[in-house]
Amino acid sequence: MLTLESVAYRYAGASRTSLRDIDLSVADAEVVGVVGASESGKTTLALVASGLAPRSIGGQLDGRLLIDGEDMSGRPMHELAARVGICFQNPFTQLSQVADTVFEEVAFGALNLGVDRLDVVRRTSEALDGLGIGDLAARDPRRLSGGQVQLVALAGLLAMRPRHLVLDEPTAQLDPEGKQLVGDALAGLAAAGTGLLITEHDTDLLARLCSRVVALDSGGITLSGTPAAVLADPRLDELGVEPPARIRLQRAVDAAGLKIELPA
Amino acid sequence: MTAAAAVVLGGVFWPLMIVAVAVLLPAAAAGVLPTLLRYSILFSLPLAVSALVVNLFFYPGGQTVLFQLGPITATAEGFAFAVEILARIAALSGAITLFYLTTKPSELVLDLERRGVPPRLAFVVNASVQTVPAMAERAQTIVDAQRARGLDTQGGLFNRLRGIVPIVGPVMLGSIAEVEERSMVLEARAFTRPGRRSLLWSPPDDGVQRLARWGLAAGLLVVIGARAVGAL
Amino acid sequence: MTGTAIECHGLVFDYPGGVRALDGVDLVIRAGERVAIVGQNGSGKTTLVRHFNGLLRPTRGDVIVGGHDTRQTRIAQLAAQVALAFQDPDRQIFAGSVEAEVSFGPRNLGLRGSDLQQAVTSALESVGLSGERRTNPYDLGYSRRKLLTIASVLAMRTRAIVFDEPTTGQDARGVRTLRAIVDRLAAEGRTVICVSHDLRFVAESFERVVVMRQGRIILDASPDVVFAESNEDALRSTNLQPPYAARVGAQLGLGSTYTDRALVHALQLHTRS
Repeated sequence: MLTLESVAYRYAGASRTSLRDIDLSVADAEVVGVVGASESGKTTLALVASGLAPRSIGGQLDGRLLIDGEDMSGRPMHELAARVGICFQNPFTQLSQVADTVFEEVAFGALNLGVDRLDVVRRTSEALDGLGIGDLAARDPRRLSGGQVQLVALAGLLAMRPRHLVLDEPTAQLDPEGKQLVGDALAGLAAAGTGLLITEHDTDLLARLCSRVVALDSGGITLSGTPAAVLADPRLDELGVEPPARIRLQRAVDAAGLKIELPA
Repeated sequence: MTAAAAVVLGGVFWPLMIVAVAVLLPAAAAGVLPTLLRYSILFSLPLAVSALVVNLFFYPGGQTVLFQLGPITATAEGFAFAVEILARIAALSGAITLFYLTTKPSELVLDLERRGVPPRLAFVVNASVQTVPAMAERAQTIVDAQRARGLDTQGGLFNRLRGIVPIVGPVMLGSIAEVEERSMVLEARAFTRPGRRSLLWSPPDDGVQRLARWGLAAGLLVVIGARAVGAL
Repeated sequence: MTGTAIECHGLVFDYPGGVRALDGVDLVIRAGERVAIVGQNGSGKTTLVRHFNGLLRPTRGDVIVGGHDTRQTRIAQLAAQVALAFQDPDRQIFAGSVEAEVSFGPRNLGLRGSDLQQAVTSALESVGLSGERRTNPYDLGYSRRKLLTIASVLAMRTRAIVFDEPTTGQDARGVRTLRAIVDRLAAEGRTVICVSHDLRFVAESFERVVVMRQGRIILDASPDVVFAESNEDALRSTNLQPPYAARVGAQLGLGSTYTDRALVHALQLHTRS
């Protein structure tokens, strides 16, 4: 269980807070989606949930980050790294640049944790197979497509065996093929029991994966509930969020006065 | 070590021998001889040319005249000296190029780390080297993007100078922004954990390599010694 | 204002190293047309549009932009006719302020004084960054930086504009802004060309869709034809799927419903009959 308790956060040198009054938790095997306009605080939320804010980037954090009931304040980043993994939207900046093969790239994090060499090999193979990219193991990570690189990054996180994963707009910079790849992979992860916190613009993806969705506006949570409820909420439009395609289309049909129900 | 030996040894013969043995032979064995020749010649050309010209015409105490070019004279002594210098340059650039061509950065770094170099330092070395091709590709895209906005890169010198900021700017800024993100990613992969990291594998270090290393070091000592006592 | 016309005849392009990116492209874009170019990664879309301002020159065949053969015209000159907005804003932004960044393009094209001011102001307004003139571009988030690069290109006031994946990384508001921009450019008679994998955006804003695969054009028609059920296989061969509205329409047997509006319209007709 990953919990944010009364969290507020201000970036170093910033005049206003980027997050306020955040109470949010992600249980094991739960998938929580976060929507909101650009600059509503989604990325900041991801950084705080993973511990990078304030440990890596400074800034002021009020409130607590709790993992399995333990307060993480004062714990160093490498301890958090073993418990919460974070995946960013740009696949390529997540490559370590020091790995010639996908296998070494995926092993990178686990090696940093000082895990025994044989264990690392086992974890890496499992991570690769779990995401269906075992056949990419010998390839040069820098020559892969965006979607593939994103999967490599995910595998690298999984090899560290975190109980929770935070993903900040993981498909935003991918083409439809990549989005499909990553979407399927995330669905698999959720089914396997990892707790996921996903921020996204792509509400279709969230509708498919999440058990719960929250909406952020100017750093605060304004809506929270099931995907069916939140993603169909008319207030999403003011928040700059596009509802899933089916809902959008249904609304257009309803607005034209037609009493037709579109297929799922 | 090859380079050091070349400099220490006097004359022409010995540096050239070194080039042959310690540079060309291994290059041929590694299959990189043509590339090596191309790169090291290109690499050392400006230096070699200027060394030749300077010494040919301006060697102090040059007496035996070879030919005359207007007010300046080419001397045989100057030429001889120039050739010595060229031999050393050849050895130096050959050695450096050989190292660059035959060493995989990742192997080098892994080996360094195994021998106790702090992982963060090793990483910086490795990542910096690997970043070069990525940066070059990035720089090309930036040049294209600015040209698409009318930046004239084909005009006169002044025009090209004006183009520096719009090109260097994004290269630097983008790199800095990227560095910020990359360092977050590294921290999220526990890179800052104190203590040793595990290593997946060690680069092979067989008998031949070890022999060559010790042989080179010993050879250098011998050469220095011989030079010191005036034997060479 | 008449837009610029662009023609490609038998265009073949090989990258150094031998990879053939374009394998005989024949394309005529008329002045003032709104054309979207779609296709999978590696189909040649980006390579193609880089020929429109001379960044790339044909290996064989020719490219004529506004009557000029690109092989004989300098890029700086072609840029005065065709402005190209790149996909990654961070490979372009260099100035310390939004204003300076947007001024770069038009300045290169010779705009000064009040003309320059007007071009910059109008461009900033179109993308919603009027209030950020003095802001450092890197203080803006990714999607607004992208809008900044669009503004930089709009300010050049060229008769043709090419966008390379403008919607990637944008939120709903950003996409709406882009749609409005495309509409306005078209209303002004400028030629608008867009490489995109967002097929809904394409269906709703463009009158012509060029589908590419492995360096060739496999389909070139209006969106209602391209996204019709009969072309689903062709699209799939280049890893594309028609927009959601089209798929629903196909499922309900309503013919080609390439946009939300087309679907609603088709349903209305259907219920009346």
